[in-house]
Amino acid sequence: MTITIRAEELILDKERAIYFPAQKILAISDLHLGKAAHFRKAGVQVPSTLAQSDLQRLTTLFNHYQPSTLLINGDMFHHEINSDIDVFEKWKADYKNVNFLLVKGNHDHLHNNQYNDLGIEVHEPSFCARNFCFIHDAIKCNEKDLYPISGHVHPGISIIGKAKQRLKFPCFYFGNEHAVMPAFSAFTGLYLIKPKPQEQVFAITPNKVVKV
Amino acid sequence: MSLTKTPGYKKVANWLKADGKKPFDFQKETWSYYADGYSGLVNAPTGFGKTFSVFLAVVIEALNQKGVAKTTSKDRLQLIWITPLRSLAKDIARAMREVLTELDLDWYVGVRNGDTSQAEKLQQKKSMPEILLITPESLHLLLAQKGSSTLFKNLKCIVADEWHELLGSKRGVMVELAISRIKGLQKAAKEYYLRVWAISATIGNIEQALEVIEPDINAKRIIVKAKLHKKIEIKSILPDYIETLPWAGHLGLKLAYKLLPIIEKSKTTLIFINTRGQSEMWYQHLLNLDPELAGRIAIHHGSIDFELRNWIEDSLHTGLLKAVIATSSLDLGVDFKPVDTVVQVGSPKGVARFLQRAGRSGHSPGETSKIYFLPTHALELVEAAAIKEAAKDNNIESREPVIMVFDTLIQYLVTLAVGDGFDDELIFNEVKSTHAFNMLLPEEWNWLMQFITSGGDSLTAYQEFKKVIKDEDGLWKVKSRQIAMRHRLHIGTIVSDAMLKVKFLSGGYIGMVEEYFVSKLKPDDSFTLAGRILDFVQIKDMTVIVRRSKKKRAMSPSWLGGRLPLSSNLGQVLRKKYNEVLNKTHQEEELDVVYPLFLVQQERSHVPRNDELLIEMINNREGFHLFAYPFEGRLVHEILAALVAYRLSRLVPITFSIAMNDYGFELLSDTEIPMDDAIAYEVFSPDNLTEDITLSINSTEMARRKFRDIACIAGLVFQGYPGKYVANKHLQSSAGLFFNVFSDYDKHNLLLRQAYDEVFYLQLEEARLLEALQRIQNSTIVITNPKRFTPLSFPIKVDSLRANMSSEELEHRIERMKAEVFK
Repeated sequence: MTITIRAEELILDKERAIYFPAQKILAISDLHLGKAAHFRKAGVQVPSTLAQSDLQRLTTLFNHYQPSTLLINGDMFHHEINSDIDVFEKWKADYKNVNFLLVKGNHDHLHNNQYNDLGIEVHEPSFCARNFCFIHDAIKCNEKDLYPISGHVHPGISIIGKAKQRLKFPCFYFGNEHAVMPAFSAFTGLYLIKPKPQEQVFAITPNKVVKV
Repeated sequence: MSLTKTPGYKKVANWLKADGKKPFDFQKETWSYYADGYSGLVNAPTGFGKTFSVFLAVVIEALNQKGVAKTTSKDRLQLIWITPLRSLAKDIARAMREVLTELDLDWYVGVRNGDTSQAEKLQQKKSMPEILLITPESLHLLLAQKGSSTLFKNLKCIVADEWHELLGSKRGVMVELAISRIKGLQKAAKEYYLRVWAISATIGNIEQALEVIEPDINAKRIIVKAKLHKKIEIKSILPDYIETLPWAGHLGLKLAYKLLPIIEKSKTTLIFINTRGQSEMWYQHLLNLDPELAGRIAIHHGSIDFELRNWIEDSLHTGLLKAVIATSSLDLGVDFKPVDTVVQVGSPKGVARFLQRAGRSGHSPGETSKIYFLPTHALELVEAAAIKEAAKDNNIESREPVIMVFDTLIQYLVTLAVGDGFDDELIFNEVKSTHAFNMLLPEEWNWLMQFITSGGDSLTAYQEFKKVIKDEDGLWKVKSRQIAMRHRLHIGTIVSDAMLKVKFLSGGYIGMVEEYFVSKLKPDDSFTLAGRILDFVQIKDMTVIVRRSKKKRAMSPSWLGGRLPLSSNLGQVLRKKYNEVLNKTHQEEELDVVYPLFLVQQERSHVPRNDELLIEMINNREGFHLFAYPFEGRLVHEILAALVAYRLSRLVPITFSIAMNDYGFELLSDTEIPMDDAIAYEVFSPDNLTEDITLSINSTEMARRKFRDIACIAGLVFQGYPGKYVANKHLQSSAGLFFNVFSDYDKHNLLLRQAYDEVFYLQLEEARLLEALQRIQNSTIVITNPKRFTPLSFPIKVDSLRANMSSEELEHRIERMKAEVFK
């Protein structure tokens, strides 16, 4: 679905990503790479194929949009370097022409050298492109003239209808003050947001993005 | 030599005689079977010395043996006494200690459960007492201790007290597994002392209860039944006018004033209320009605702090309290002598439970138990009449033993690995010897082993998964101290809802509430707990900090769960009673009282007869309602509603929200529901049942809900233990997330299959459903179109637990719903 925000065109993809055509930026947030392996290390049986599936979804997005930049809006790695991240490194080698760019989030504790070694350009606290300020947590944004696009909360929307019907989806939120992106990783929960009347929310169903 | 000639028997008989007592026949039988090496089950009503049957059998044997082991040795343990509730242990221990002192037997009685102090546990680790009173969870914790395998060398007997309570639950499976291990350890040491005994109230499947606790067909097994009859007097508290009883939800508080004279004329009254939330409300209400009761009544439930519960139990013994409001926390065997009256508020939903609670009064042999029934809505009066009849006919429910619960087995295997480690071949055979897992297949066992050793799949190139690993001695063990510690903390928290401790700002614990409830509180909001009104201050370190409130009223926390489904025995009698109300062929006064209500039902719609199924179609602002009344109990209705909704949704694209109670279910839709005679017989048809049920279960949330417990028991979700441990933030997740992840990436996961099986086999009772559908096929289906809600439909409508079923496209639904979103 294509929308216009602050006179810029953005494509909202059902794979929980935003494509910014003017800059050829593909933006995702809360990737939490290594979360599955982190759990497994602690003796919790998360399927090991989970992390690969997140990368496969990224591959599909790369093929579709052919971006020059992948912007990860915080929480790229869940905790420490582990086997999931080794898998990521091998996968990344196929995309030498894509610029990997990380806006640091609260989970991103690795040393800057480690990001450098992986070929990831680190920005802190934000990365600005035209009218937007990409930042992990919107509250911390100091760019008064720009519209902050954040992640962090893993937003979800609950839709309530007649006859006591209720549906719950991950969503994109475009509020008056800032926007929030959905968490990219499949291994994340949802935090239900309560939008104000005139704010735009886009629910993500298994098949498409729907404005609610 | 006959047992009666032994010095031990004589000593016990003389002691009883000196006390002016004579052993009951069933006690003497138990003693002699035990002496002959039997395992068994004692079935006797409450208040006739069930405890002394097996306990004295062990004591007699000990008195007959010379050369008692030195008290410093590590293997003193002679008797393990498993109790389902912590509150039982203290009182049984007290009674046992008295007997031991009088008989001059130098044995210690130890208690071990969640309330046992660290110092005492350490003492026990140095030297176990001869008798250990323990909960199933703590018994598993004992197995998770290093060196535990040496503790049971001299163990003579394991007793599962109140076995009927454990039998139908995963805790019962924990008991089965622990017994299989202890037997295995004695076998390995070539010691064969162990006899296993259960003590149980009357249930429908008493023979099976014995086979579960002692599954070995080569063992000597016996059921000892007390041929004693407990007299029970049941009286309903009737409203003066039927209007004073609201149709649903209102807890019968309006009738509460009728309790005051009953409390006044009794020595001590126990008031049983089905949920913790309602018990808080009743406590406040009784105090408002009669402020003079302040200090003379108390409230007792599972979420109240240990110290406070202790005080209440002590005060019950001494007769200090006039009345105690309790939930199932006081259901079982503790003998409170001053209690002479019991009140049951709301339907007990089962005959066995009702009789059990009645037995809490008139505890001594020969006394009559007196129980009052206070209905919380008018239709419960019919239930009261049904219970009276079922109790008279001794129509008592079975407790179906739980089988093939992989979550519990996974937890057990890790428990053994945390302890002294295990040999997989040996343990496979032990596990397979239990009733719960005798159908366990080798490939399922392999999957389980893989799950705990390599994290589920062997295909992964990376071996970062670390939980259970093979040690140099060939045994499977947990080597990581963190994993071991997390697992130990985890065993006790088999209940999946995160509970938080509640503490005064100035210090002192009050009890526990669910995290879900606290998450909705703002500072200065008030709630009641343990009968006190509290102001919420903040949450700190997994503890809810509060201060005393000056407010007069506050909301009661809602603890999830605690809803009891109607048993099928009662459902059957209930249908019969419905016929009798209108026919006026009945004897019961309860039915006279509800007669006017049935006239309203008849006038607005129809009163279903035994050979009829009533369907009510009601349209109003809320949407289109379909109500159906099979009277099969909540659990069956949940499945039946999903089945009917699924079959209707095949006719037209439609979305339902589903609600149910013990009498019937509601399908609610925002579009018109197709219904006529032909459709009705079709959607209630027994044809293609298995297939349609599978499909309908898949498209509702039932399995997902079951998975909450499973994920927790299997150790996938760890919430931290209240007040003790802050969960590792990096390891936080939810059962729902795991359900999704397994559904998407690991379809063959046995835990996932268990969730569906639990819906299918445990809840569904397929035979019962099939029987119900066949009954319906042979009935007349009556469809009415009432203009307003009827006495039967209203209670279902206000029920808040709802499920969903849809055959519409998601995007299409959103399109229609979004107009409502921002309202």
